[in-house]
Amino acid sequence: MSAPAAEAMAPLVQPGSPISRFIWHCRNNPKRELWFAWWTTVVFYNFFTISFFVLSRTQPPANPALDAQGAAHWFEKNHYGILLGFAIMFLVTGMTAPQNALIAYSMRRMSISPAFGYSYLVLYSLSAVPGMLLLCIVLTVGAMRPERDPELQQWLFDLGFLSYVGTMGVFLIGSIVWMLAILIDKNRVFPKWFAYLNLCNALTEVVVSPAWIFHSGVFAWNGVIAWWIDMVVFGIYTGVFITLLRNMIRREDFGTGALPDLPPKRMLETSSLAKAAS
Amino acid sequence: MTTPAGADAPPNEFDEVKAKVQDHRFIPGQPDMWAFVLFETLVFTSYFVVYLLFRAQHHELYLQAQANLDLRIGIFNTIALLLSSWAVARCVQASRDGAYRSALTNAFMTIFFGFVFFVSKVLEWAKEIRMGNGFTTNEFFQHYFFLTSIHFLHLLIGFIVMGVVIYQLWSPKRRSQELVETGATYWHTVDFLWVLIFALLYVVR
Amino acid sequence: MSSAFNTRLLAVWLLLSSMTLAYAWLDHSADDEMIRPSAVVTVSAIAIALLKVRIIFREFMEVRHAPALLCRLTDAWVLLIAVCLLGSYFLGMTIVN
Repeated sequence: MSAPAAEAMAPLVQPGSPISRFIWHCRNNPKRELWFAWWTTVVFYNFFTISFFVLSRTQPPANPALDAQGAAHWFEKNHYGILLGFAIMFLVTGMTAPQNALIAYSMRRMSISPAFGYSYLVLYSLSAVPGMLLLCIVLTVGAMRPERDPELQQWLFDLGFLSYVGTMGVFLIGSIVWMLAILIDKNRVFPKWFAYLNLCNALTEVVVSPAWIFHSGVFAWNGVIAWWIDMVVFGIYTGVFITLLRNMIRREDFGTGALPDLPPKRMLETSSLAKAAS
Repeated sequence: MTTPAGADAPPNEFDEVKAKVQDHRFIPGQPDMWAFVLFETLVFTSYFVVYLLFRAQHHELYLQAQANLDLRIGIFNTIALLLSSWAVARCVQASRDGAYRSALTNAFMTIFFGFVFFVSKVLEWAKEIRMGNGFTTNEFFQHYFFLTSIHFLHLLIGFIVMGVVIYQLWSPKRRSQELVETGATYWHTVDFLWVLIFALLYVVR
Repeated sequence: MSSAFNTRLLAVWLLLSSMTLAYAWLDHSADDEMIRPSAVVTVSAIAIALLKVRIIFREFMEVRHAPALLCRLTDAWVLLIAVCLLGSYFLGMTIVN
């Protein structure tokens, strides 16, 4: 195994400050790119939550039953939140790239065709456009000139929310690709129940499609079924895959066979001390 | 079988019997599929809760709309799925005993009864739509079409799962009992979810 | 041994099917010419459905032979669904009236 051997060569547990240890890891840790991608993912979701839920108030989505005046009023009410929140999103959108790369990497580590990883990468790279950016751009345009005709404001309002909530197809297919990859995989990169969780996630995304038809009620883009329940499942799903990706990186041995299990915590400490001593 | 520390009594026959029974306790199929079953049941329960809460808000409307449904079709659908569940349970037993031809027959029966449900459901939808009750007609039919459609989607996935089961049973080189049981667990879920949907859409007043 | 299992499975199917047919009786006796709301019918319908679900869990899905954890989990689930369904039904009724 190359990773522990490499660590045994260089001085292992640094008695220095956290900063010097961090710098050491940046220089020497063979998994640094993986950890960088993982931390980028975590940071991105934090920015996402703040931008969408707190600043711009686009999540939970606004009421689709609003008329033109109502839509114009919504833009006015959230004017600064939208501009600031989405300005942040435009800056950090690039962070989705390491996230998608990490997930595609997980599929490359599996014992399956590389096509799975590549398909996922392509799908999710494209999906950011309708799935997130379009909403950001359109609503920013809407907030930019509050004195615009309310009919136009409502058009932007509809375009923004529908493109975000309604274009679940890409994410749905991506979940299915990941699910199939995990089910066929023999390297035990992810537990099988996570494959089934991908299926649950995909199914709740199918449920969102009636949002194109209904302006009110449980199937509207802010409805209990089309948005709230879907968001709960998605939230659980996201938390789970971030944890599983972390476990994958910790278990990674850069081989091509089955991924070893996570070592019990105590063993990890004693073995590294033993190596440092020898 | 170890005796409790300090006890000098001879090994209890009862303990040995208990051990045998304990040894035979197993989880059918992958435990992972059970996690899926339980989680998906929760998701469906949330849809049911929404339906019941909204139903109470417009009780008269829902009652009138519900009168458009034919209970007999619902019962027929339920029995068809119960037959398919029965068939897949028999399939698991046969496969466990090594009677693979019987297992295959039962697996095909499962698909057959599932298909009966499929056809019946499509015909029922067509009938309702011809009567003027579509997805957007009123709130009751929104829920009706939604619940039956999302269940229908699970049924379609079930056909794929049964395909995997049959593929496993076909050749002596494969025949993973675990996969057969996992597939059966999924299929039973499709069945019991329908049992709940049927009660809520067709019978509840 | 397998025939004993198959007999049991057949018996279970017969039981489930007769419970299903019971709905026809329930429906018929509830309506008498005019369709009307009924808490009794609703609660019975949900109770019968949950009983069927539990039987499917224990017999078809072989939870009978499963470790205690799965037995308790599936029973807990049946209870949870009962609470959610009956709870939302009665809560909905109370809010309106």
